[in-house]
Amino acid sequence: MRPLDWVVLFGWLVFLVSYGLWRGRGSDTVNQFLLAGKTMPWYAMGLSIMATQASAITFISTTGQSYVDGMRFVQFYFGLPVAMVILSATAVPIFHRAKVYTAYEYLEQRFDSRTRLLVTIVFLIQRGLGAGIALSAPAIALSVILGLPFSVTILIMGCMVVLYTTMGGIKAITWADVQQMVVILGSLILALIIAVWKLPSDVSFFDAVRIAGAAGKLNVVTTHFDWNDRYNLWSGLIGGGFLALAYFGTDQSQVQRYLTGKSIAQSRLSLLFNATFKVPVQFFILFLGAIVFVFFVFERPPLLFHPVEMKRVEQQAGQTGIQDRFNQAFEERQGAARRFKDASVPEARAAALRDFQSAQKGLDSARKEALGLAHDNDTNYIFLTFVTKYLPVGVVGLVIGVIFTAAMSAISGEINSLATVTVIDIYKRHFRTDVSDRHYLIASRVATAFWGIYATVFASVVRGFGALIEAVNLVGSLFYGSMLGVFVLAFFVKRCGPKGAFVGVLAGEAAILVMTRLTSAYLWYNVVGCIVTIAVGRLVSSLTKESIQK
Amino acid sequence: MTEEDEPPPVLRSWAQVYTFILVYLACLIGLFYAFTVHFAP
Repeated sequence: MRPLDWVVLFGWLVFLVSYGLWRGRGSDTVNQFLLAGKTMPWYAMGLSIMATQASAITFISTTGQSYVDGMRFVQFYFGLPVAMVILSATAVPIFHRAKVYTAYEYLEQRFDSRTRLLVTIVFLIQRGLGAGIALSAPAIALSVILGLPFSVTILIMGCMVVLYTTMGGIKAITWADVQQMVVILGSLILALIIAVWKLPSDVSFFDAVRIAGAAGKLNVVTTHFDWNDRYNLWSGLIGGGFLALAYFGTDQSQVQRYLTGKSIAQSRLSLLFNATFKVPVQFFILFLGAIVFVFFVFERPPLLFHPVEMKRVEQQAGQTGIQDRFNQAFEERQGAARRFKDASVPEARAAALRDFQSAQKGLDSARKEALGLAHDNDTNYIFLTFVTKYLPVGVVGLVIGVIFTAAMSAISGEINSLATVTVIDIYKRHFRTDVSDRHYLIASRVATAFWGIYATVFASVVRGFGALIEAVNLVGSLFYGSMLGVFVLAFFVKRCGPKGAFVGVLAGEAAILVMTRLTSAYLWYNVVGCIVTIAVGRLVSSLTKESIQK
Repeated sequence: MTEEDEPPPVLRSWAQVYTFILVYLACLIGLFYAFTVHFAP
């Protein structure tokens, strides 16, 4: 990072926090602080929902995942549009009619306070764990790349998040997200243009796409069914659909976004905006990762992208052999790529492809050996290395700044929802049931500050948790199935009462725990957890002959 | 007209909007499949 990059980085951070605070002014009632007075337009909610998911994950992990594993991760999002349609038709009008602050309030209206409390606790555990991971992993990566101590990076992020979420509430968060999402998309487009522009002059954009295809990086859709394969068409449509239903239908961090809508129509449009654009945006981000891969076909990449781990590997005796084999395989792969793009007859192309794949195996094997000696994940450093080493001065600062604020955006939404649930579902419901609006406003600000500080401290403890995006989704999938199941019971199963719902949630969680022993394909946990919760809930209600819907 | 009856800004009903989204998704997956097959090694 050069001086201009630091200026741009801090300028962007100060601008975004100030902008959020300015837009969040006037949040002086609980309704304003937690639901923005229900005044938000659809495009602000839609972009905010997208920004919360985009997070630092988008930059750091998704592009790296495409570099390593190809584009098949996009299938994870195939179920999302279907989920958005279902939620627009069902959950949005139900929550609006119920006039609730949190999704869990509705569970008491439909079942009882015990079920509401159980699901509230499940949410607080799940979201509390997720908040730490979402802040920790990008902070580790950024501290390594910027050469800043980890504690300083975490502290900068934590302080800024606590400042604007505590002062401005959801309005500040939403408008900061809008600004940020626009800059995120702009930065990604810029990164793609620069990656293509930095290719050798004899390699065109179409050559790059063909080489990415030859390397197996453009494997967007895989139709075969494999229970243990995390990403294929079926796990994406079914497992991803269930995960999206649970995330957007039962997770307060998302429900709260569309509860800020002026009307049912505005809330529906915000979800349908995501249904339309989420998959193409993810495709684009993964495509960028594939192009970065091609860039490194012609520009020698480091053996490991993680600079600290790379030094550790270099220092180990006898490792020069790995580097030599890596260098040789790189030269062979580059030569094969050139022959592949220049081949005019199918036989020559097939021969070049064979050479390319053989050299790629050599590179992968050397990297695997080096990764075996490393102590930290390397995927999260691929795109960061590309950004810091190859983007022009100024742009580096902007992209790093956007990654900072992307991590902060995810956290701000999470701590805001954690605070809302703490105040509305725990404090107001069980401790101080009838005090002034001002009292609850202060409680909301205190709870926001508490969760912000908790996330910062927790993030400093949980260092490194595999590839960031998978860790976040994995934690979610341990709880979402049963949460979705209880909401399905509430919305659609009239003959289910409070006992059934309560036991159903516990059974769903037990089923998910069993699933973790059977398969690591976590998208299926959501399906099984949901089905078990519904089945057990319905069965218990029948057996106990409890009263039907209130 | 109740809040729930508010029509979408495009197309005539919410059902039509939902159908459009699902057809759009099917087309997108179809395009991605063709892309995968075309560039497969």
